[in-house]
Amino acid sequence: MEQKQTSVVKTPRNSDGAQRSSYRQSYRSYVGAVSRLGLTSALTARRLNTSRRAPRAHNITDKVSPEHLAVLVKKEWQLSYVTPLFQFRHTQLKRYSQQLSAFIAAERQGVAVEVEEPQHSFKASFSVVHGMAEAEEDAETILIQVHSKHHFSRRDDPEKCVWSGWLACINGSPEYIRSLPKDFICLPLFGSSGGDPLTSSVKSWFQQTFDCCFGSLEINHTSLQWLGSLWTNCQPESNIQHLKMIWAVPVVPPLQITYTVNPQDAWELWTCVRKDAQVEKEGEEEEEEEEEGIIDIEEVNMFMQELKSHFYRHFKLDLSAGNLVQVSTALGSAKTSGRIKISNSRYMISTLTLLTECALLKMPV
Amino acid sequence: MGDTPRRLLQRLIRRIPAQELKPTLEKWGRLSQAQLQTIDFTQSKWALTGKLGTICEERNWAVKHITELELIYNAHTVELLQFKEQFKSNLSELIRNVSVKIKKHTDEAVWIRIAWGDGLSQPNHFKPTYVVHYLQTPYVFVTSLNSKQKPLLSQALVLATSYHAIKDANLSGRKFTAIRDLLMRQYEQVFPRKFHSPLKERNQIVTDPHIEREQAESSANRLQMACEAFGGGKLPQLQSAVYKLETKFRGHNKSMTQREEPIRCVVKFASTNILESLRNCASSGIASTPVTPLLSSIPLKGRNYFVITDNGPGPSQTRQQN
Repeated sequence: MEQKQTSVVKTPRNSDGAQRSSYRQSYRSYVGAVSRLGLTSALTARRLNTSRRAPRAHNITDKVSPEHLAVLVKKEWQLSYVTPLFQFRHTQLKRYSQQLSAFIAAERQGVAVEVEEPQHSFKASFSVVHGMAEAEEDAETILIQVHSKHHFSRRDDPEKCVWSGWLACINGSPEYIRSLPKDFICLPLFGSSGGDPLTSSVKSWFQQTFDCCFGSLEINHTSLQWLGSLWTNCQPESNIQHLKMIWAVPVVPPLQITYTVNPQDAWELWTCVRKDAQVEKEGEEEEEEEEEGIIDIEEVNMFMQELKSHFYRHFKLDLSAGNLVQVSTALGSAKTSGRIKISNSRYMISTLTLLTECALLKMPV
Repeated sequence: MGDTPRRLLQRLIRRIPAQELKPTLEKWGRLSQAQLQTIDFTQSKWALTGKLGTICEERNWAVKHITELELIYNAHTVELLQFKEQFKSNLSELIRNVSVKIKKHTDEAVWIRIAWGDGLSQPNHFKPTYVVHYLQTPYVFVTSLNSKQKPLLSQALVLATSYHAIKDANLSGRKFTAIRDLLMRQYEQVFPRKFHSPLKERNQIVTDPHIEREQAESSANRLQMACEAFGGGKLPQLQSAVYKLETKFRGHNKSMTQREEPIRCVVKFASTNILESLRNCASSGIASTPVTPLLSSIPLKGRNYFVITDNGPGPSQTRQQN
């Protein structure tokens, strides 16, 4: 049961200060709704963050081991959301590895297979990626790899990694996590890279063992716009090399428009837009919070609108008539089909934070 | 007159189109004026053949005379031979170990296949360059040419065709026939009309007399302007168009618009047939009509790579982009 709904509400252009606190309100009402069973109207109360922290360069190489980073970075992952896992223990990883290897072998051969048998041609291994969890409630990221070994290869031949995947929860909503019943672990974001048969085997095993549900995570255009803006925000620290956006226009035959902006020019436009937005905000005497490093959705929308206006003045073509399908910079790329690539580990945490939020929103539970 | 020359004559007369028959015979010069006048060129070809046959017999012509007539008819074949010779010799002068094969197609196109080698190695037949030239036109179509080979080929072509110079047309695509049709405008052109009459929609929905389309006129106008810009009917299949923009910012943000330096960006349109996609954009309203000159230049100027600066479209530069 896959409901494709945009549980994202675009904040209207002339926003007032009340919008900023709508995030807290919406989550409070959501948590209240969870306790009322079967109330699907809770979905309308959940919203994507209307403001988020500007990505800081994390010295993640200090915290995460380079081998793990090498696996995660520069590969394109297909994303899914996962409902909370029942009785998943970070201490039982070795047992899970054996069970998953046996499961994969059984699926392939079509017969029951002994768990302890060491001769499986596919060997799964679970490991914990320490150092990625940000918030207190975040569970540690789990990395799953499947290596294959031919029957006829010698013992010392290196095994080839034919499939990898990970489960993560980065800065997941604390209220949601705390609201989960005991024994449930929240790892809502799942990324996989490898052949489809293995992906479905791994998912089946998880579904059987932990009573969870997988679903495809499409990245909608608001999240893509967020990623584009957040990455552009990093320009002074790390050169993004270009801001590339791809739109699909629904004509016959379908037209694809790739709009690539010079990074320095994109950065300047972004700062101008932010400056104007800050001036507007200061005009309203609202809470005097420290606004350093907070980006609002109005700024993101304005940034994209300006880029589209520049385009329109030249081509008289309204890009809003199309769908934004991909955003990419040197820091990474994201496609609406749910494929993500993180090319620079420094901003991995911020990207994964946003994606964790998307996964939590998309979950039907 | 023997059988062969008669048959040759028959075949030749069949080949030569009717309107060209008289000028060709005149150019041939072997028939006297009086004789030419006696021939009634409005007769059927069969009758003409008979008449000419009798004249041939009277004059006792042999095969070589008939072949002379054939050659004159193929006047441009001589031109082709000239082109072939010159091109081959030019290219061979410029680079040794190059294998050139020239063939003429029926539709006036000369196809050249070049396998490049250098002083040390034999020509590489696995990566040949193909060149197509329409002799009566100033266009040359090239594929698979790298930057080192390009000046050599250009020079050989210029010398062989006795033009002054050769320059990039900034047009590239995957289908040769499409590019050719675009350049030579071999597709349905739609011209602006003084009295706007609604064009028939291509996908005619069943017309129910009780259904009235509110915006019929404006959508007909859009369709008309879209077809004027891009053409009607089936359009040549161009796969992409690239615009390199270096213009001042044209959005709404005040501080950005006051900036002196231009914004640099690259826009690429891609589709299985971008001309049809763009026409559809214009007719459906996604692109405002009248169609902006940036887009209508694709068919108008026969280009799909543009550099746009604030001083107007930049000069066609350097290398094409695919």
